[in-house]
Amino acid sequence: MSVTISVVETINLRKTYLLGKVPVDALRGVNLRVEKGDFLAILGPSGSGKSTLLNMIGALDKPTDGKVFIESVDASTLNDNQLADLRRRIGFVFQFFNLIPRLTARGNVELPMAIPGLGKNERRKRAEELLETVGLKERMNHKPAELSGGERQRVAIARALANNPRFLLMDEPTGNIDSKTASEIIELVKGLNKEKGVTTIIITHDQHIASQAKRTVQMLDGLIVHEKVN
Amino acid sequence: MKASDILSYSFSAIKLRKLRAGLTTLGVVIGIAAIVALLSISQGLQNTITEQLQKGFATDTLIVSSGGGFGLGAMGTSNSGFKLLVNDTQTINEIANVVTSVAIIQRVGYVKSGERDFIRYVVGVDFANYTSIYSSTFIAESGDIPLNPENEMIVVGKRVSDPWDNGTLFCNVNDNVEILWTNATARPPKNETYTRHVVAVLKEVGGLGVGGPSDSSVYIPISQAQTFFGTDECDMIIVKLENDDEATIKNVSEAIKEAFSGQVSVTSATAVLNILSSVFSTIELFLAGIAAISLLVAGIGIMNIMIVSLMERTREIGILKALGMKSRTVLLVFLSESVIIGLIGAAIGIASGWGLANVVAIVFRGGGVFMGGNQAAGTNRMTITPVLTPMVFLGALAFGVGVSVVFALYPAWRASKLKPVEALRYE
Repeated sequence: MSVTISVVETINLRKTYLLGKVPVDALRGVNLRVEKGDFLAILGPSGSGKSTLLNMIGALDKPTDGKVFIESVDASTLNDNQLADLRRRIGFVFQFFNLIPRLTARGNVELPMAIPGLGKNERRKRAEELLETVGLKERMNHKPAELSGGERQRVAIARALANNPRFLLMDEPTGNIDSKTASEIIELVKGLNKEKGVTTIIITHDQHIASQAKRTVQMLDGLIVHEKVN
Repeated sequence: MKASDILSYSFSAIKLRKLRAGLTTLGVVIGIAAIVALLSISQGLQNTITEQLQKGFATDTLIVSSGGGFGLGAMGTSNSGFKLLVNDTQTINEIANVVTSVAIIQRVGYVKSGERDFIRYVVGVDFANYTSIYSSTFIAESGDIPLNPENEMIVVGKRVSDPWDNGTLFCNVNDNVEILWTNATARPPKNETYTRHVVAVLKEVGGLGVGGPSDSSVYIPISQAQTFFGTDECDMIIVKLENDDEATIKNVSEAIKEAFSGQVSVTSATAVLNILSSVFSTIELFLAGIAAISLLVAGIGIMNIMIVSLMERTREIGILKALGMKSRTVLLVFLSESVIIGLIGAAIGIASGWGLANVVAIVFRGGGVFMGGNQAAGTNRMTITPVLTPMVFLGALAFGVGVSVVFALYPAWRASKLKPVEALRYE
């Protein structure tokens, strides 16, 4: 019997925000396990707590209570520097692309590799390879403003893959592009998952996108209410 | 993240907002330029004055004058009524380590040749002694300086002979000139006129001629001066020492004061130069202080711009943190932007300040800065050569960068402390 390795695991995860002086429970005890090679879609309406869950899984925020294990490391006990180190092993893709406007496509892909101090030639070579993987090699010297929405999201995916992340964490990656381009992006992500074994967690409120994943969890009012294998 | 990558990233942020960065840098440029210009001009001025003083004031000489000190004593008598007499040189000559001394009587008079006349100092000295003390400056360019002059013989400075410095001579060797002097102490005041014969024109001396030979003076034998000006009182006595050791200067100065019961003041070249240096240090500090205020204003400008930039780039900071950049690196990214602004500003500031100092020096030269000294007509033009010392250069560079960094510390610290989740959410 083979032992499955958990990439992400949350145990009774809770997060309470203060909205003014009113406490709001964004997460009310979420238990989730994502294994290596998984392709998980977290589905839910606005305000269901899926973005808060993404922040916890992405080591961008700390829980009020409970545990978040990322590759068996309890992120809830780490300090700011350790969290930063941990984030280098996570590939983020955001709804609004979040590219640095003044850098070219290649510069944006190189940036996460420059942060841990990778040499210029090495990161340039890798950035070009990644841009080729996402089909943008010809456009690598263009700045984000010169690229279409779909192209920008491809650059963001290439950037997310730069440091060989343990998993891709995508927050509504198709939320800001047309449906045709969205399908292409999802095909690209599916390909990466299938061919290269890239573990992927995608947050969406789009049923169609969620159906493309291997597994779907449904969130509502800060809790996972439904889980299914597609 | 490597330092070169941080700098390159920061530079790309500066390049994006060229006008804003340019204006911010301009503040540093103006502050540094003001500091460099003021300091290099004042340093140049100090060098010029010191050099001029040294030319006319040998370090192995002392100036003895009656009463309240150098300058004041040289101009008149002391409050106590003590008068320094020409034959007091005998008393001074007996003091150990004194080689010789020479008494000086000087008055302002007109020197007339043909239809032209000039106001000049008429200085009575013992030619032989004066020549031995100022053997390198009291020398003839034309004619000969007589060691035992006859009464009607005079020696003139270069600017007396050639007042316009263009070869058009007012008088030359073998010419006769008239010396007119008004004895204002006589009742009624009496005009005296003597015709004298030029036997030598001095080589150009330059300098301020403190006690020493000057280009704008007319020299007459001391005995003639006593008769001509009707006095045995001298304005100062120049004392030549065996050496310019500090101990010799101190011992002889004290011995002279003691010999005249403390009624005289004794001044050495070293003392004058020290006072001058101290005065200039204070002036430089004051000027640099004023200029530094403009740099502080520039610093506040940098802080303001950095805070605005921080707000504009909050989301970018969130992205950098999401990509795994540590708070310390975010701090360094912002600080290095200020280092780049400071470095560029300081470099341009130093170059502009240096240029400005040279323009000011040229303007002064063109307009003619006249130094009075003991030249009554003041034709000895002084030129300032601005000096940019390595100390000022490095200091200005460090100050420019330092001010930029200090004022960027707070915005950079705020940027580094942003929570990634909040920064990413910022719109």
